[in-house]
Amino acid sequence: MAACTVYSTQSLKTNCFISTPSSKTHYGFHSKQIVLYSTSKRNKRVNNPYVITCAAGDTQTVVIGLAADSGCGKSTFMRRLTSVFGGTAEPPKGGNPDSNTLISDTTTVICLDDYHSLDRTGRKEKGVTALDPRANDFDLMYEQVKAIKDGVSVQKPIYNHVTGLLDPPELIKPPKILVIEGLHPMYDARVRDLLDFSIYLDISNEVKFAWKIQRDMAERGHSLESIKASIEARKPDFDAYIDPQKQYADAVIEVLPTELIPDDNEGKILRVRLIQKEGVKNFSPVYLFDDGSTISWIPCGRKLTCSYPGIKFAYGPDAYFGNEVSIVEMDGQFDRLDELIYVESHLSNLSSKFYGEVTQQMLKHADFPGSNNGTGLFQTIVGLKIRELYEQIVATRAETPVKAAKA
Amino acid sequence: NLILVRAAPDSISEKVEESIKNAEEACSGDPVSGECVAAWDEVEELSAAASHARDKKKGTDPLDAYCKDNPETDECRTYDT
Repeated sequence: MAACTVYSTQSLKTNCFISTPSSKTHYGFHSKQIVLYSTSKRNKRVNNPYVITCAAGDTQTVVIGLAADSGCGKSTFMRRLTSVFGGTAEPPKGGNPDSNTLISDTTTVICLDDYHSLDRTGRKEKGVTALDPRANDFDLMYEQVKAIKDGVSVQKPIYNHVTGLLDPPELIKPPKILVIEGLHPMYDARVRDLLDFSIYLDISNEVKFAWKIQRDMAERGHSLESIKASIEARKPDFDAYIDPQKQYADAVIEVLPTELIPDDNEGKILRVRLIQKEGVKNFSPVYLFDDGSTISWIPCGRKLTCSYPGIKFAYGPDAYFGNEVSIVEMDGQFDRLDELIYVESHLSNLSSKFYGEVTQQMLKHADFPGSNNGTGLFQTIVGLKIRELYEQIVATRAETPVKAAKA
Repeated sequence: NLILVRAAPDSISEKVEESIKNAEEACSGDPVSGECVAAWDEVEELSAAASHARDKKKGTDPLDAYCKDNPETDECRTYDT
């Protein structure tokens, strides 16, 4: 790093500095990338000689990883998460209309499809899917996520989902919280080590099929057969490269068909399990009634009227890929608000700031998919957990300001 | 009991349709070839893009959209006390 100037117009705590990238640049592209982009003239402007860095106070960016297959509700989760922090997430203003990035006051969400090393034609020629590690550039992913974590802005490529091409890059500034979402946030060990918290959305095959029917049947050309064929064709790669990542996740949200109705295959009523790893720094799992016991609870009765098929909760310690975990499970769906506040009052360690915050968050987004069942409930709870984790990390750093050295 | 929703913008819709046809063709010879698998992966990617485009389109209230451009009109003015 050559020049290093601090200008503080807003507050003394804001650290902004302008730097000239040296030859050992870790926020640009390595040679492989330049070859990929050399077809477009517009990209010549990529090599911006100055990088302005503004780290938020003395804090480093907190990085969260979210893994899930496409069409499994990642975007709904993202909207719930950003809402916990306040404000709405929007695409970068004035940039590429097909950008996958979402920015809010505190949070920036980047889609890992932007790190595809092969575009749609390239994958077709090689006969590989987007799930295949060979179609992704983990070196660039690691370099750029690390740079953002260290407070350095990066020029991140954009994978255009409509055209299937890699578009010119966009500037990503270091936010307070960076969420990397996509198929492979925990695949590469170097990227995995950068994550402060990781989540895996695990949708069972039956539910995935039902969801994709809902999503695609109205679309021209799709039939039951084509939806089935698409899931089947991607399954070997999914099982080989995506699914194994769940062993590394700090929290897994598992979505299964209900057990309340025998032989149900509609996929409308869901059994959702929140699997929480024990012993993770700054993360203490939610529990029902009594920490560490095994409990089965049907809230319907004298105090609560539920319609068919009712609601059933379960809680208990378990083992998951050799790790000690706590699992909270909800089967069934809510009909009315009083049910949710009743349930919330019996859950402990929610990391909420006031009584009823979970219910209030769910009500705010009553129109999102999953707001009447365990998917919405557990996504909201994980959102509160991430807020607490962020606040704890910031508090720990404030205690040792001298150690928060600049890279 | 399937809910019919508005289809995505035509260009993506056409692409989805086309990609399904291509995938069915690519798989007619060898159902486990890389070519076949990549073709179905393209179908999934386009279907997801079409669904996102659909969500974006239906999410806006006509009055909200109007008020964004015309905040000074009678029907849009709001005052904080």
